[in-house]
Amino acid sequence: MESDEDNMVDANDVESVDDDIYSGELEDDYYYSEADGDGGGEDGGGDDEDGPGYDFMAEAADDLVEDSLYWRQQQSYSILKEDDINQRQDDAITRVSTVLSIPKVDATILLRHYNWSVSKVHDEWFADEDGVRSTVGLLDRPAVHVSDVRELTCGICFEFFPRSRIVSAACGHPFCNSCWSGYINASVNDGPGCLALRCPDPSCRAAVGLDMVNMLASDEEKEKYARYLLRSYVEDNRKTKWCPAPGCECAVDFAGGAGNFDVSCLCSYSFCWSCTEEAHRPVDCGTVSKWILKNSAESENMNWILANSKPCPKCKRPIEKNQGCMHMTCTPPCKFEFCWLCLGSWSEHGERTGGFYACNRYEAAKQEGAYDEAEKRREMAKNSLERYTHYYERWASNQTSRQKALADLQQMQNVHLAKLSDIHCTPESQLKFITDAWLQIVECRRVLKWTYAYGFYLPDHEQGKRQFFEYLQGEAESGLERLHQCAEKELQQFLTPEADRPLKEFEEFRTKLAGLTSVTKNYFENLVRALENGLVDVDSNGSSSRAAGSKDTGGSKGRAGRGKANVKTGRNSDD
Amino acid sequence: MQASRARLFKEYKEVQREKSADPDIQLVCDDSNIFKWTALIKGPSETPFDGGVFQLAFAVPEQYPLQPPQVRFLTKIFHPNVHFKTGEICLDILKNAWSPAWTLQSVCRAIIALMAHPEPDSPLNCDSGNLLRSGDVRGYQSMARMYTRLAASPKKG
Repeated sequence: MESDEDNMVDANDVESVDDDIYSGELEDDYYYSEADGDGGGEDGGGDDEDGPGYDFMAEAADDLVEDSLYWRQQQSYSILKEDDINQRQDDAITRVSTVLSIPKVDATILLRHYNWSVSKVHDEWFADEDGVRSTVGLLDRPAVHVSDVRELTCGICFEFFPRSRIVSAACGHPFCNSCWSGYINASVNDGPGCLALRCPDPSCRAAVGLDMVNMLASDEEKEKYARYLLRSYVEDNRKTKWCPAPGCECAVDFAGGAGNFDVSCLCSYSFCWSCTEEAHRPVDCGTVSKWILKNSAESENMNWILANSKPCPKCKRPIEKNQGCMHMTCTPPCKFEFCWLCLGSWSEHGERTGGFYACNRYEAAKQEGAYDEAEKRREMAKNSLERYTHYYERWASNQTSRQKALADLQQMQNVHLAKLSDIHCTPESQLKFITDAWLQIVECRRVLKWTYAYGFYLPDHEQGKRQFFEYLQGEAESGLERLHQCAEKELQQFLTPEADRPLKEFEEFRTKLAGLTSVTKNYFENLVRALENGLVDVDSNGSSSRAAGSKDTGGSKGRAGRGKANVKTGRNSDD
Repeated sequence: MQASRARLFKEYKEVQREKSADPDIQLVCDDSNIFKWTALIKGPSETPFDGGVFQLAFAVPEQYPLQPPQVRFLTKIFHPNVHFKTGEICLDILKNAWSPAWTLQSVCRAIIALMAHPEPDSPLNCDSGNLLRSGDVRGYQSMARMYTRLAASPKKG
């Protein structure tokens, strides 16, 4: 890769002048196997199978608030504000409550248990009402009958209380007001697991619902509980996710199945629905998460977490093991049971599979040094800081440039276009080529940014690919610089009122900028496809000829029709 | 008075009153600290722990009974769910399945039940767990019996 540095510098890429920082001798992270078409992971699945040409204009347009609504309507997702979420949650609860003729509190418990799927609740309930009742803890008659005495013993503090100060769930187990409060408050403060709260009696499965919480918890806990309930509707529901933008309280309801995962929220933030990171084509979700982890890995916290915790194999939250056996149970709502040593599912650790012995073998292998590799990799990750810094700086500076370009674009639309229109006596609709150019710049900056994450994970031993990649990247940078230069600097001379330039000159400018936009657009489209294909064509010396050819036939789902750009809009899965 | 203290005092009085209620369990509160308890439990019969007397140490948190007490074996015991060196116990009701309706007494009973019914699938003592998992019940029992005799038998005379 060193041999190619000159190319990059030649391609007037100011940012890569100090390319020699990275030495490239280390390989702390492995290359993700992105075969052509689909990386094979569920995450990126289909992301890269979209027809060419849709993404540039469409995605960039997503960044524009005024355009986004239009695009969103064609999308297979909708944006929910807090009121909408409450409304939907209420609707679901009311529907279940009406159809099953049960109180709303019980309907809430049922729905939460079945991840807020009304149809699932109906199916299960009508298939086996008794079974569902006992699983969820909705008793239809008390489990204990309290005789008609004046005083009862609380099952927690063992004091005697008059009946008026004793409260029970549907089961009838008696506990005093203050023990109930303590029990509920402690559970609420333990986290969202409180939504599945049961009667304190160990043998009792009776559910404790919103009504009892509101009656017995303190105000702060009531509020927390309500918050958890709302969050549960979004987080446990397979079709909804929060918008990850800071301060944004919208959720996204994603109806489409597989396919493209880029969504754009009301707050104008675009993100990948699959991994909830920002929109990141051409890089796949796996690489993005590695890259982002890496970006934060330099902090002390992350070092500590890496050294002392393992991620839950299911929900990926870092877990610190401080006591107990190897049989781990993640905290609710995940509750995944797994083996700490091998991180495999505990259900596979039966006697039949000899699973536990496999983990003994893990220990043995570790002692023999077979597992030292993981340790070495961590070491090397630290040593490769310099190489990483190189990529990170470029990644971050493209990010900054993109923000700047976005601001410029807004400025252009809000101020300059009207001015230009006046000066040159041209309707604003005919100045669309300028907006298009800026949209293109914004999109290119985004792609270029992610190519640096791509480059970081490109294995050093794939010399051919690396050289080709860096060549493509360099060309992309210089092409984008040309476009940016034209849209920013050359436009200036037409913006001064005194500039009494002949119309011909402006028309020339139009031709040039539109041409540059189109050329850059094509180039970046090819770049995205080539990278998404894992540079498979590196030996056949054509970055994307095969890829482009295979994507012609299109399904009509998903984003079809979204692309303004002329080419095919469909998507297929024949890759 | 804080709730945990009141509750522990209740349990203390109950233990005093019902001294002979459960002959297998002898719960004793520390002389100076009501949050520290010890218990002597008899190994259940028809198990390799039969005849042994095992000492447990309880450390009760301030939030008791909303949070479980910490219990460990002071007496060495060869059991899949008890750490051989520290005496730490892997028992669901002492972790996530705790309920405030449990008492120190019922925890002791649960531990006695655990001694009779080990859970080799969640082992803290892997050697012990592996013996059971591989079906070597005799091996497990003789090891457990040996340690019962070595560590848990009342000193005679």
